[in-house]
Parts: sequence; structure tokens; C-alpha cells
Amino acid sequence: MSKCWLHVFIAISVLLISGCNDRLDLEDAAFPLLGGYDLDEKNNLLTYVTVPEFSKSARKKTQELGVRAKTLQQARQQSDAYWPAVFQGRKMLVILVSKRLLAHVDWFRILDVFSRDAKNPLTCRMIMYDGPLSEVIYLNQQDQPFLPLLLRGMVDTKSGRSETVKTTFQDMHRLRFEKGKTPSIAEIRLENEIKLNGTALLDHQGKYADSLDAQETILLQILQNQAKHAVSLTLAIPGQAKRGPLNTDKLSFSTNKAKTHIKTAFHDGHFQFDLAVHLSIALTERLFPYDMHHKSTVLEKAIAEQLKKQFEGLIGKIQSHQIDPIGLGIHAQAFTYKPYKKVEDQWGRALSEANIHLSVTVTIEGVGTIK
Amino acid sequence: MKKYAYNEITLMQFICILSGVQLSVGLLALPQRLAQRAGTDGWIGLLLIWVFTVIANLIIVRVMSSYPQGTMMDLLTHYCGRWVGKIAAVLLALYFFLYGYVGITRTILYVKQWLLPQTSTFQIMLLLLIPTYTVARNGLRIVGRYAELVFFISLWIPFAYLLPLQDAQWLYLLPVLKEGWLPILSAAEIAFLSFSGIGITMVLYPFLLHKRQAFAGVAISNTVSMLVFLMISLICFVYFSPSEIKEYNEPVVNVLKNIEFKFIERIEVVFISFYLFMFSLSWIPTFHASAFCVSWMLGKPDHRNPLRVIWLILAAGTLLFMPSFTQNDMMGRWLSKIAFGFEDAIPVCLLIYLWTKKE
Repeated sequence: MSKCWLHVFIAISVLLISGCNDRLDLEDAAFPLLGGYDLDEKNNLLTYVTVPEFSKSARKKTQELGVRAKTLQQARQQSDAYWPAVFQGRKMLVILVSKRLLAHVDWFRILDVFSRDAKNPLTCRMIMYDGPLSEVIYLNQQDQPFLPLLLRGMVDTKSGRSETVKTTFQDMHRLRFEKGKTPSIAEIRLENEIKLNGTALLDHQGKYADSLDAQETILLQILQNQAKHAVSLTLAIPGQAKRGPLNTDKLSFSTNKAKTHIKTAFHDGHFQFDLAVHLSIALTERLFPYDMHHKSTVLEKAIAEQLKKQFEGLIGKIQSHQIDPIGLGIHAQAFTYKPYKKVEDQWGRALSEANIHLSVTVTIEGVGTIK
Repeated sequence: MKKYAYNEITLMQFICILSGVQLSVGLLALPQRLAQRAGTDGWIGLLLIWVFTVIANLIIVRVMSSYPQGTMMDLLTHYCGRWVGKIAAVLLALYFFLYGYVGITRTILYVKQWLLPQTSTFQIMLLLLIPTYTVARNGLRIVGRYAELVFFISLWIPFAYLLPLQDAQWLYLLPVLKEGWLPILSAAEIAFLSFSGIGITMVLYPFLLHKRQAFAGVAISNTVSMLVFLMISLICFVYFSPSEIKEYNEPVVNVLKNIEFKFIERIEVVFISFYLFMFSLSWIPTFHASAFCVSWMLGKPDHRNPLRVIWLILAAGTLLFMPSFTQNDMMGRWLSKIAFGFEDAIPVCLLIYLWTKKE
């Protein structure tokens, strides 16, 4: 008898309890792969999305849409109105922001929905575009993979060679609360084609401060100790004759090992950082004749000298903007906690007044297959 | 004569039940709470409270060993009379019920937040209660086997937590003792809830196959819990920046959101679903213990009827009232105060009482 009741009970529960009443059919969903955020002339928020189009009758494989809205949730509502489907943010690959938006303090707050709604991904790549976003979004190049995939591919492969930074939404979020390090994100420009330009440096409030090109980005990541193995740098060695229009004083190498030791101290009201960069390199290109056999230590010194100049240029840039993309503040916090805590809220200024000493040592491990 | 001979549990099962009860409630929010109190020094608080809990747990075992054939209620009846035993049974039943209730409601809140936002709490409660009943209606041995199973199928979880470490910033842990010991003591206090639940030893003890292993058992299970807490907290501390971690409600889950696989999106969903097994150990053994206490008080050998009553109270109760996250947190805070009374203060008093009585 009790068995029978049990079965009745199970049958009723199965009918009543189904976990699928919040399911969503694929036909009814639109998955934007790219979200773009911009401001118009009157500083209204503009939201762009790029959505792949699966319908057979559609001639274009993607659809783009731009709407004006106060918040992203509102933008979603408005974009919904254009599609026979509901928006799902969960496949977002790329967040594109314009330089105009980045000129405003705390712009990152408008992206709150990404961290609050558990359904949204945190791994979308953050990319800055220098200009109005509508230029890129509606570009629709025929002979290239479509925009979100193109941008994501650019960031992923180039950051693999340290030529740009792969800053995800989560990284941005982390740095927003971090006083000892400022964010840097990938930057693209439009020169007939979309081009990955390097890195945009942001300040403590998330405002745009300056841009770095590919080589500077590599140097930055060497200082951060995050340079991937085998990054490639090109330098001009002074004292080598230029011949004609060709720059035959150039030399390129790839690194086998790049390591930066950072020593932190606090003296007389100033922070002091000693950055010791050590590189083991293999030459990949040398456009001038050189007696490697006898004078390789001289060349090592020359390379170190040139690198040091470039590093110092980079640090000068950083200090003049009062930003800290290297993350020296984290070192200051770890090793000189008390004085750091006092200046924590103006770390950018404290760093601009800090003494940063730099030393570079280079060892040539290989010269390639020819002399 | 052995009263509980048919349901003896092995040392392994004992450890699994005890660690399971400890590891569930509060695991997901723990790193954030430690960080609130003591920044990245919070992990030292874990070590302090671990020492404290091991000692408290050893005291419980020491008390129990003076009447090895019975539970805490049997012991109190033996030394203090029938009524004291009955009152203890009621109080323990309420305590275990509350413990399980906080655990199961928190789990429902997590499920709603991360997995099934549009399913009603009542339905989720029913879905959780059905397997609860099927496991808990049997004797303690089955509960022990279930705990063992959960332990073994959860062994892979720590490895997944090593993946986010490639973005770790170990410097966040320095300097140790940033602001002195005071914040660390305060973090230890907040970690106390996570380590509570050892009171279940009072009911488990007579079922343990070899009583001499009880000391080792509680030491091992507390250490296992401590290691898991420590590992998870440290990973969250080095992954998030010290002020960012305070922004999350469940940093333990957020840390996983950044793992990217080509073949699966929202990897954390898999984890939350899997954590349900672990979380279930916060209410299955405790509801079982609660039902056991009630049936002991009524003098009946079968604990299934009280269990059914608990079942109905929970199912019907969710229709009327379901705590929100804040209310659940508040209940958790009460619970840790009550737990302090049951698991630390009372056993110490009893130990002193037993000593004076012997002399």
C-alpha cells in the first residue's frame, strides 16, 4: 500500500517539478558577440552590438545595431525591439569602447551588469578604438572574418607575443579596485583596415592617459615580468653606418628569458625602485657586418645601452602621466607597507616623484645559423 | 551491550561526515569575509581557529569517552538523570535542525542565484528534499557511505582551482601581519562559523567502530577542513586584488568564471551543481541527527517518523517563509553563537563536572 502511495507521489512530483521552465530555445535567442560603447556629441551613451545571423534568407552574415540608452539594461531592451529574438549577453567575446568614452572618469561603472548578472561572461576582451565606434562597427569588410572574431583573434595572438595586452573584463574589474596598478587595454585604429595599434594606458580613474606601440608594450610587459617567452625586439645600434635609404644599423633579436627583479625601498620621503632587467637573447636579424667572434660582449653592452634608453623613455612616459601600469604600487605595498598606505590614494603622484633606477644586462645566447 | 551495533561507521566515514558538515555552509563566502576583517592576512585567522576547534573537538571526544556506549543524551541521563537527558535531546535536536536549515536555505539561495533564477524556492526545496529523505531515512551507516561517496567524487575540485593561479599576484600576501593581530583575531571569529558543526560528534561517537580512533578522527577531519579553507582562501586572495575581493558575495565561484574552455561556457555552473553534493552534507547528517535526537527523546528506535515531520515542516515552511541572503547571513551569525555554546562552552563545563564527580 505504502509503495503505491510512493509511486503516486513520485508521479505527481515529476509532473509538478520541472527545472526547465526558464529554458530558452536557440531560435528565440540572439547572441551578440561584440558590445560597443560610445558617447555622441551630447554625451549620450551609444550602444552597439554585432550579432551573427543564422537565417538562410539573410544575405549578410551579421547584423549590427546601435541604440541610444541610459544604461546597458535599457539598451538591451531597445535592441530587443529590432529582433525577433531576445538578447543574451552570455556569448560576448569583445567589449569595444571609444576613446571619447574613456575621457570620462569612472566610465567602467556603466558595465556593472557584466559583473552583477551571473549569466554574463567575464572573459570578454577589452579594446579601445580611437574614434567614433560607428566607423568600425558598420565597416563590414568582405574579405575578413567578421568583426568580433577578428578583434578577439588579434588580441589573443598578439598578446601571445606580448605586442598588446590581453585585458579581460575581469582584469579591468580587478584593477579598478587596485590602487597600486593602473589598467592598460588593447587599442585598435582604422587605417583603411582595422589595425591593432598596441596598448592604451589608463589612469587610476580609468581615464585614457597615453598609448604605447607594440615595442613599448613588449618593454612594459618585460618590466611587469609578464612577457611571454620569445618576444621579439628591434633596435638601432649607434656607430653603424647607414647605407642609402635602408636602415642598415638595425638589429633584431628574440628573447629566450626575460626577467625583471624589482627592489623596493623608502628613503627620505621618496619611494625608490631598483629595476634590474636581465635578458637572454638570440639574434634573429643583423643588418650590419660585425665581428661576433671577438666583440660580442661589446655588442651585448650596446644592446643593453639602447634598451635602457627605451626603458627609461617608457618610465618617463609613465611618471609624467602619474600612472602605474607596471604595478610598482603592489611591490610598494608588499615591501614598504606603512609609507605606501599613507600615499595609497595618490599613488600615481607618489610614483611620479619616486626614484626609479634601471639596469639592463643582456647575454647573447645565439647568433643564428650564419656568422 | 552495544545499543547501536547495527549502524557502526568506520573511521573514514566518521571523518567524511564531520568534514562534510564543516566544509559546506559558508565555504563560498569565506574568503570575502576573511578579507573584510583582516585583508589578505585573514588566512592566519583560519589557522588560529583551527587550533581552537581541534582542542574543542578533542574535549567533546574526551567527554564522550567517559560513557563510550551512548550518545550525549545517554551520557547526561547516566550522570545527571532522565530529565536532563531529555532536555538535552530537545536542545540538540533544535540545534541540528537549525544548522541543517541554514545550510539548505543557503544552498537554495545559491541555486537560485547561479543556476535556476526563475524556478521557485519551493520547487528547489522539494528537489533537494527528495534525495535527502532517501539518504537520511536509513541508518547512520548509509549517511556515512554517502559522505564517503561525496568525498571521493569531489576530489577533483581542488585541481580546478589551480587553473586561475596563472593570473595570481603572490605579492598581495605580503607583508604578513599588515595591521597587527587585532584584525586577525576578528577574522578568526568570522571563520568560526565555517568550522562549527563538530557538535555532531556527540551523536556520532557511539556509532564509531573503534572508539580509540575518535581522537585521530576529529584531528584529521578538522585538518582536512582547514586545508580546504586555507587553499581556497589563499587562491582567492592572490587572484583578486585585496579591495576587489570585498566586492564579491561568493569569490570562490567568481574565481572560476575566468577559466575559459573552448567547449563549455560558464564553467562555474558545473561547479555549483557539483557543490550541491558537498553542501548536502551540511543538512543530511544534521537532519538525520536531529530526527535521531527526537526519536531518542520519545524512546522509539525508529527515527523515520521525526524525519518525515522535519521534511514536511521544511516543505511547507518554504511556502510561507524563505530567508533572503541577508536574513540567512543573520541566521548564520546566530548559529555561530549557538554553536559556540553547544560545541565549546557546554563540553568544557561537562568535562570539569565529570572530573569533579570522579574525585
